[in-house]
Amino acid sequence: MGLFILLGVFALCVIIGAPVAFALGISAVVAFWFEGLPMMIGFQRIVAGISLQAYLAIPFFIFAGDLMFHGGIAARLVRFAQAAVGAVRGGLGIVNVFSSMLFGGISGSAIADISALGSILIPAMKEKGYDADYAVNVTVTSSIAGIIIPPSHNMIIFALAAGGGVSISKLFLAGVVPGILMCVCLALAAYIVAVKRGYQAEKFPGFAALGYAFAGAIPGLFTAFIIVGGVLSGVFTATESGAIGAIYAFLVTLIVYRTLTWNNFKRTVVSSVRTTSMVLVLIACAGAFAYMLTFYRVPSKTLDLLLGISDNVILILLMINLMLLVLGMIMDMAALILICTPIFLPVMNALGIDPVQFGIILLVNLGLGLCTPPVGTCLFAGCVVGKLPIEKAIKTIWPFYLAILAALMLITFVPAISLTLPNLILGD
Amino acid sequence: MIVRICIILAAVSLVAMTVFYVWLVFGRYVLNDTPTWVEQVSLLLVMVITFLGAAVGVHQHTHLSVGLFRNIVSRSVRNFFVIITDLLMIGFGGMMFWYGIELTKFKWNTLIPLIQVSEGFRSLPLTICGALLFLFSVGHLIRLLTGWDERQDNIDEG
Repeated sequence: MGLFILLGVFALCVIIGAPVAFALGISAVVAFWFEGLPMMIGFQRIVAGISLQAYLAIPFFIFAGDLMFHGGIAARLVRFAQAAVGAVRGGLGIVNVFSSMLFGGISGSAIADISALGSILIPAMKEKGYDADYAVNVTVTSSIAGIIIPPSHNMIIFALAAGGGVSISKLFLAGVVPGILMCVCLALAAYIVAVKRGYQAEKFPGFAALGYAFAGAIPGLFTAFIIVGGVLSGVFTATESGAIGAIYAFLVTLIVYRTLTWNNFKRTVVSSVRTTSMVLVLIACAGAFAYMLTFYRVPSKTLDLLLGISDNVILILLMINLMLLVLGMIMDMAALILICTPIFLPVMNALGIDPVQFGIILLVNLGLGLCTPPVGTCLFAGCVVGKLPIEKAIKTIWPFYLAILAALMLITFVPAISLTLPNLILGD
Repeated sequence: MIVRICIILAAVSLVAMTVFYVWLVFGRYVLNDTPTWVEQVSLLLVMVITFLGAAVGVHQHTHLSVGLFRNIVSRSVRNFFVIITDLLMIGFGGMMFWYGIELTKFKWNTLIPLIQVSEGFRSLPLTICGALLFLFSVGHLIRLLTGWDERQDNIDEG
């Protein structure tokens, strides 16, 4: 009964349009009241939800990404991508995917990716005769790659939600190959659609221009290298490397690119504060919500339920993928990672699936959810940037969905895609 | 005015936190003397960023929410939804404030290790956030009832 109240109040809050973060908090508080638990504990859970040293990495990652965005690194990455892969048929579509791969590596956030790259590439693509829906769809779907290409603050959330048993270094490394695989699938889809619609290729600018563009992009790309390298080598913790990355980004945009003015800096800090508080308050309230889910023993019930239906690994994995996709459609990523990880991780353990691989599966699923209504944050952001009604974007987005689904299936059923690299470098 | 103060406090916290952490690394590798206060202070600062920022987000309607259902129902039902949302937020904000005070009082005499600051400071931003949620949501409700709804999805289909 209590569980129904928890979920029911949450669903009602979401339907009437209350902010999702507070919907989680409100439903948790109602469930606390219903169970006669001391209300102070409820709010204490909200504070405790973010009182973890590892979560400090989130503001730093967001800050570093924002500095790069406002400091002009995105434009330089696009220039490099254009010089490198623009000469292929449907060039700008593939440039878009390639840029996402590079920029996503730096920002680790799909939304940052869309606002940074989309605002440059979507107008450029329209100007060159690409349809707006194609431009938006490529931008939106390729931004998911940013979530699984390290560094990614969502991986840190997952590592914490998994109870500390999953190493962040392993997760970072595990995201590389699946991220590239996803981009290859998307580039293929972008190519096929481009050929069908008759988009032309760009001219190859010559190796000198390519080298020049690469040199311009290096200082920016180095941010990701610092963060990932710092964590992998054990020199910094994830949090420290985030702070170092932010300061590095600050110095590069201030001294090397000379694009950071005082006004720019103020805007960057305010935008980082806004994003950080949105993500963290969601995490905080999800902390209280997850506490109630555990109180109602949802994780162990789910385990029994799923294993009761079948003990076929493939079937259960498909079911979990489907559930995650559906949940991803109606809720935001950070909260879902916190809520779903404790529920599904025991199932994965029972099936003998590596938690690191599950992390990647989870992130791709939830990422895909960001591109689908009704809560398709990425899709909405892309449509705003491309000035395109959402209905129009959805009509032609399916080849790109299929590409990601294909990648997701490969990642789900071929553990080696995620696990080879971390096992090779870090050992078992 | 309140919003401006919140944003400035949160922004300063973010920058300070970044500098502190770089100082931590510098201290460990260069000075051979790791500053132990950084972590604890940053954990307090992140509360400021989160809860003050979240209150501003409520004021400016920037929090993630599902506009879909609100936009497919008729105008009167939509207004009903919005009023209920505001009432819920008022209630939640009020409780957050009330129990925030309780929590702060409860923890006031415990000290955070390494920095000797009262544990109560940890829940203080939450308390303030609760008060602001309450105030901002009452403000929204008053504006709505006087026919002045500033919510963005009123105009477009966000």
